[in-house]
Amino acid sequence: MFSNRFEYFAPKSLEEALALLSTHRDDAKLLAGGQSLLSLMKLRLANPKVLIDLGRIADLDYLRVDGDKIAIGARVTYAQIKESELLRNKCPLLPKTAAVVGDAQVRNRGTIGGSLAHADPHGDMPAAALALEAELKAVGPKSARWIKAEDFFVTMFSTALAPDEILTEIRVPTSDNTQSVYLKAARRPSDFAMAGVALRLRLDPEQSCEQITVGITGVADRPYRAFSVEKALRGQKLSEKIIEEAAARVTDGVDVAEDIHASKKFRSHLARLYTGRAIRAAM
Amino acid sequence: MHKIKLRINGNEIEHEVDARLLLVHYIREKARLTGTHVGCDTGNCGACTVIFNGKAVKSCMTLAAQADGAQIITIEGLAKNGLHPIQKAFMEKFAIQCGYCTPGMIMSAYGLLTANPSPDEAEIREALEGNLCMCTGYQQIIEAIAHAADVMRGAGKKK
Amino acid sequence: MMKLDEILVTRNWVGKPVQRQEDLRFVKGEGSYVDDLDMDCHQAAILRSPHAHARIKKIDVSKALALKGVIAVLTGQEAAGQTKPISARAITRPATQYVMAVDKVRYVGEPVAAVAAEDRYIAEDALELIEIDYEALPPVVKIEDALKPDAPLVFEEAGSNVLMHDLMEHGNFAEACQEADLILKETFNVHRYSSTPLEPWAIIADYQKGSDAFLVWANDQQHGRSITNVCNTLGIPTHKLRLMVPDSGGGFGIKLALWPYIVILSLLAKKANKPVKWIQTRREHLMAGSHAPDANVEIELALKKDGRLLAVGIKDIQNDGSFVHTAGIYGLIKFATMVGCYNIKATKAELLSVVTNKGPTVQNRGVGKPTMIFVLERMVDLAAKKLGLDPSEIRFRNFVKPEQMPYTTPSGEIYESGDYPACLRKALELVGYEELKRRRDAERKNGKYLGIGISAGVEPGTSNLGYYYTARGTPEYTGNAEGAIVSMDYDGNVNVLLGSADTGQGHATTTAQVIADMLAITPDNVSMNSHVDSLISPFLGHSGVYSNKFNDVDLGAVVMATKKIRDKMFRLAAHMLELDVNQLKLKDGKICSAKDEAKAVSFKEIASLAYKKIVFLPEGEEPGLKEIAYYRNPIAKLPNRKDFNIQLTHANSVHIAVVEVDVQSGMIEFLKYGIVHDCGRQINPGIVEGMAIGSTVHGVGASLLEDFVYNEDGQLLATTFMDYMKPLAMSVPKFELAHMESPCPYTLLGTKAVGEGGSLPSLAAIANAVEDALAPFGVKVTSLPITPEKVVRAVTESKII
Repeated sequence: MFSNRFEYFAPKSLEEALALLSTHRDDAKLLAGGQSLLSLMKLRLANPKVLIDLGRIADLDYLRVDGDKIAIGARVTYAQIKESELLRNKCPLLPKTAAVVGDAQVRNRGTIGGSLAHADPHGDMPAAALALEAELKAVGPKSARWIKAEDFFVTMFSTALAPDEILTEIRVPTSDNTQSVYLKAARRPSDFAMAGVALRLRLDPEQSCEQITVGITGVADRPYRAFSVEKALRGQKLSEKIIEEAAARVTDGVDVAEDIHASKKFRSHLARLYTGRAIRAAM
Repeated sequence: MHKIKLRINGNEIEHEVDARLLLVHYIREKARLTGTHVGCDTGNCGACTVIFNGKAVKSCMTLAAQADGAQIITIEGLAKNGLHPIQKAFMEKFAIQCGYCTPGMIMSAYGLLTANPSPDEAEIREALEGNLCMCTGYQQIIEAIAHAADVMRGAGKKK
Repeated sequence: MMKLDEILVTRNWVGKPVQRQEDLRFVKGEGSYVDDLDMDCHQAAILRSPHAHARIKKIDVSKALALKGVIAVLTGQEAAGQTKPISARAITRPATQYVMAVDKVRYVGEPVAAVAAEDRYIAEDALELIEIDYEALPPVVKIEDALKPDAPLVFEEAGSNVLMHDLMEHGNFAEACQEADLILKETFNVHRYSSTPLEPWAIIADYQKGSDAFLVWANDQQHGRSITNVCNTLGIPTHKLRLMVPDSGGGFGIKLALWPYIVILSLLAKKANKPVKWIQTRREHLMAGSHAPDANVEIELALKKDGRLLAVGIKDIQNDGSFVHTAGIYGLIKFATMVGCYNIKATKAELLSVVTNKGPTVQNRGVGKPTMIFVLERMVDLAAKKLGLDPSEIRFRNFVKPEQMPYTTPSGEIYESGDYPACLRKALELVGYEELKRRRDAERKNGKYLGIGISAGVEPGTSNLGYYYTARGTPEYTGNAEGAIVSMDYDGNVNVLLGSADTGQGHATTTAQVIADMLAITPDNVSMNSHVDSLISPFLGHSGVYSNKFNDVDLGAVVMATKKIRDKMFRLAAHMLELDVNQLKLKDGKICSAKDEAKAVSFKEIASLAYKKIVFLPEGEEPGLKEIAYYRNPIAKLPNRKDFNIQLTHANSVHIAVVEVDVQSGMIEFLKYGIVHDCGRQINPGIVEGMAIGSTVHGVGASLLEDFVYNEDGQLLATTFMDYMKPLAMSVPKFELAHMESPCPYTLLGTKAVGEGGSLPSLAAIANAVEDALAPFGVKVTSLPITPEKVVRAVTESKII
């Protein structure tokens, strides 16, 4: 309940924030909504010496169309995503996912950038970002680059961001006739997922699978794209048999996690089950 | 130390605070408003819920330093001209037993009804996802919020 | 005993849902919980063992003491040098334990040192600077392991991890088994859970140098006993501790175990020159704030093939963790509830209390009765299945009938009143049982699995203290009682002080309603300060808020004290009006002539005579209008192994839960939940309904969500509210309630318990419903909690939850 001491900075510009980050590097953590980080700090499980609050930087919470993409500032909150008319129309997977993150108070403060950068292996947003093939803008002191969602989540609480980079924007495609679903296996709706499946699916006029992306969370040490599932579905007519076989591939190539909420075996089972259900729901 | 200046229940206050001081501790100890409570360590129980720049927020998951320039409403700020309809409704519907979750519940309800003046039962239950009550089993709280919503709509109150 | 019509002269308030007077301060955020009290305090933090079982080789606090802002540090060694060991109650082997660990630690979270500092943040920083050398010892965590002959001993001096082992038999068990057509045996496991009041433990201790005495504010549930415990432990006379209990954010029994921390804080306060405050964090609460113990219960049911139950036997092995004060307490309370609502003539109980390196246990809501009713009601369901009887039918065939009331169970518990068959009938009607069964059967064909679970529970209240000594011999407390001071003030209003505090039950409002109808006034004229101050409150050793005693002895004391006031008021009024007392009556805040209401004196005038114009008092009458009464439950027997009543009142209820189980994911959803509840005469139905629902939700949490999971090293894995999952508004159904009222002949107002209420039958109702839903898969529920993983494993492989 009482964190360790730390130095606190509230830079007014991105440049100032980047400069602070360059100076303090691994001693520093970035603060956005704080709904994940502060919890860890209060339990003294995270003890950054420096906290850089991104809350005062202008123009980090925009939500706008940019060609055939939507650009979302890193500091856009779950609540804003959930309520956004633009996203509901053009990228419904994000509001659907945001709606089941935490609770109302958490959604009012927690941000999409914070969620992705925190990279909690049970976080909901990462699954959606993966299914959307989102592009994440990493701004460093000298340059900016785009990181694909599938390359972003490295391991538990660890991303491809360099110690001196800040995630400033997330770009997602507009919904181009895909159906999207986020299903979460959780004991209570506000809990972390024991298995979470975010899925985008498009069928061709013959009802074959034309496009499929699947983002999984809660299952392994990081959120991941279930490429094996996608491969098993792409180009196929989605019969029950195909769906089951594809869903069974969902844990291919990952080490399934085990904790007090679900054993390895049960978690794998839930991942398969919810993948199958997500596919059917999107059809 | 960080200087912060903010408005709580319409009153401007300023203090120098330690970076690690949580907003809930600031409200309770520096602003001496003890209606906002602490019930857990990890932002799950909602007893610390306040309205922060118009939105329901857990003050234990916010640093006091982040509240510089903010407008905060705590439970003490609700009864402007007599009790707020939500407060009255809680009393009428037996939505209170030990009283510890009550301020947080009321502030969450306030947040809900500000955004959604006619919630159905499922929406009320969902709005309380971040508020734990150990005494009531929630039923009378839900009835109270539904009743408050009726009263507030009936009196022609706007958002 | 007084009749109700003698007690209540009007019926305007008792039985009505009067809005609670307590609520105004709570809705405004003006409650005064311990942490709200405006006092300039130091703040304490407690260093706790990271090991489940280890020797303390060395402890060095010098760096902590040197930290700027630290006022004092206290080690376990120091504390032991200034205190006696914690008193044990039910265990029969020696087990020395101090308020903080001395030479070894016995559970993760056991206090080893305490720090007082200028603020809590600094105190926590100081904890990290205390250096302790531990030598890890092999921990013993599970019951089975604790019982092994070569098991590590939690208390070496006890020579065993079984600290209590008792065997009792009532009626002729062997004969009943011989008569039986069928004997069913089963073993159940109930896990550790807790009611986790939202406000954790909170203590402020102030040492008064001048008088060598302590002032303590604490949200203690049983101050009558705590004062004794704390003072005996500190070795000080009891008048040297003034214990005050302000508003308390929920208790549920969990705040019965905080007194050792009052000792710790008092010792810290002695080292400081300001009061020292300690507010327990949630993590501390979950680790070391006490749980309901987990238990393995072997149960044996002897029955005839027509479904009649002849005998029930249990072997109950309880994992009491490592807190000697409460170890063993549960066994006898479970035992007292063994026959539930049924006419069972013979019982046998073998009760064991086992210590392990799990955390401390305390009398959590229900105190073993939830476990006992769970086990019994599960067995009754299993028996029904075996015999091809509907679960409702087997219960009808075995209920104690209303014409048998008052009914004495084989061990001596007296069920004073109640109509169990009518209660079940009403419940079946409430939920539409026949239609539900049809729907369940139809939905099975569609691959949807609905289940209906019935549970009938007797809900005892008012503990006859001292029962746990039946194994040790000499009781320190017996019976149950409470005190009340009722006074009329100068304005003619009534003020009340009760011997017990309140943790959310609406004592002040309930009391006001009773007194209003005793004096023909309104509840607005009656105010009760529900805080406790040992200097002022009329308490006894039994005083406190626990085992639902309020409805019985607290209200009894209120009634008797009010009666004393009323009698005196009549004597004074008679004197003022020059009439005889039996020519007078009460009306609207006055006492007037029964024949001519114009001849009257107001309460204010009577008070004026009593407090001010005292020379005009009648001969032999003392000034003042303030009376104290202590009231005890009239039927409490002395502890006697052949015939004792451990619980003195018995409410009852039937719960019917309807669930749908997703057999692929294991997730369980409620479709319906009906409760028919009989707590005797209800004073305030609004308050009663809240308690009936709230207590049932404790059972929902316990059955489906909450679990204190320990790993094999004795580490508690659920230390936050993320991992220890409490029911949310979205987790619970909309409850449908109906009530019956079978007044209690042994309480002054005919009231019975309601506080523990639904926490007793709900575990079985839910478990029975889940098993019913999974009937097509042949699954049997023998453990709690029922998690999705257990459901899926049972459906696909093991057939057992």
